[in-house]
Amino acid sequence: MPGTGDVPGFDDDCADPALCAYTEYVEGEEVEDLPATGEGAEGIEADVWDALYGVEDPEMPVSIVDLGLIYGVEVTEREDVGFHAEVLMTLTYSGCPARDMLTDEVERSVVGVEGVESVDLRLVWSPEWSVEMVTERGKADLNEFGLSI
Amino acid sequence: MTTAERLPGPDDLSDEEREAVETLLFRLADDEFVLAERYTEWQVRAPTLESDLALANIAQDELGHARLWYDLLQDFGPDEPDLIWERPADEWRHGTMVELPFEEGDWADPVLRSYLYDVAEEIRLEALVDSSYSRIRDRVGKIQGEEDYHREHAENWLERLTEDETGRERVQRALDRLFPYALTIFEPADEEVEGRIDELGLRTESLADMREAWLDTVVPYLDGLGLDADADADLPDEIGRDKSHTDDWNDLREEFTATYRELDRHEATRIMEDPDEVA
Repeated sequence: MPGTGDVPGFDDDCADPALCAYTEYVEGEEVEDLPATGEGAEGIEADVWDALYGVEDPEMPVSIVDLGLIYGVEVTEREDVGFHAEVLMTLTYSGCPARDMLTDEVERSVVGVEGVESVDLRLVWSPEWSVEMVTERGKADLNEFGLSI
Repeated sequence: MTTAERLPGPDDLSDEEREAVETLLFRLADDEFVLAERYTEWQVRAPTLESDLALANIAQDELGHARLWYDLLQDFGPDEPDLIWERPADEWRHGTMVELPFEEGDWADPVLRSYLYDVAEEIRLEALVDSSYSRIRDRVGKIQGEEDYHREHAENWLERLTEDETGRERVQRALDRLFPYALTIFEPADEEVEGRIDELGLRTESLADMREAWLDTVVPYLDGLGLDADADADLPDEIGRDKSHTDDWNDLREEFTATYRELDRHEATRIMEDPDEVA
């Protein structure tokens, strides 16, 4: 799966540090893989990314993907069930009052993708989000909105 | 202790490991939640608009951090009502400084309380950076990044409040009142479980060492402001960590759960599916 296999978080509770993506992050190597943008994704996974691009930050007209909030998407096919999507996402701020609203919308959007039968949204807090994670398009959108970063 | 083995995820802990993780999380989460509840009492009452907004912001930060810790307790089964809205008053683990009411109009109190707490929190978070439990470790950086300005804000105000004699006396009175309660931050919930928290590497500094580091910071700093902190002060009767609390805690809890009870709620807003539940 392009671009998401080694994103920290999927191996969150890994008992063996040698196999744990997280320990690589401690060395500061993993952040370079972010933001995750879905570039190179194919099939249903690409559709999930499209759905995520359609979700905007509640306060600014910028997609949550371009804002850098999505850390990874993994779609797996389950026999007799259909496709299951797992989304790793962070929030800019731990006290974000829009948390419920945003996570609900993400879940609804992803499960609305044709072929996706279930979604598992996991909020992760490491690596911490920063403006470095905003994509070029995100910066342009924010600029148009009146924010320069 | 940094060589402690990494612990597995929430579903694969032994009973003893789980008890240690839960005890540590309740210490962290309850302190943050209750302190934030108290801070919000200053909204629209702080002495300047700037300070009003600053304290409201700090309260929001602490609520966010409480949420990150309560999320990890939810891994073990309880939901938000179990953890907050319906948990009996005598099941809370916060140190008693955070539950004390403010003396009416005494701005010196929240400023000093924030200083005493935020120095302790910095030390405590540093001891979690290399925690053996990955779900704690993964949250520490986010919280540290949001704590930076808390201590700066408190120090900035303390320096101004202690510039003249009258102000200094007022801060000293708050210090005499708060300091014994501040010491409860480093008290054990249970000696045996706290020892296990250290042995398992959930925390890389013992309570005694963190208390020492805290005293080494706050006592000289306060002294430099012409204040006298009594490092040998006796602990209050109510420690909090051991679930003993002041009557003021009961009042505060009644207050913040009032709406939940009046609306006859039995569940909190469903935030999302359990993030770790594979559907």
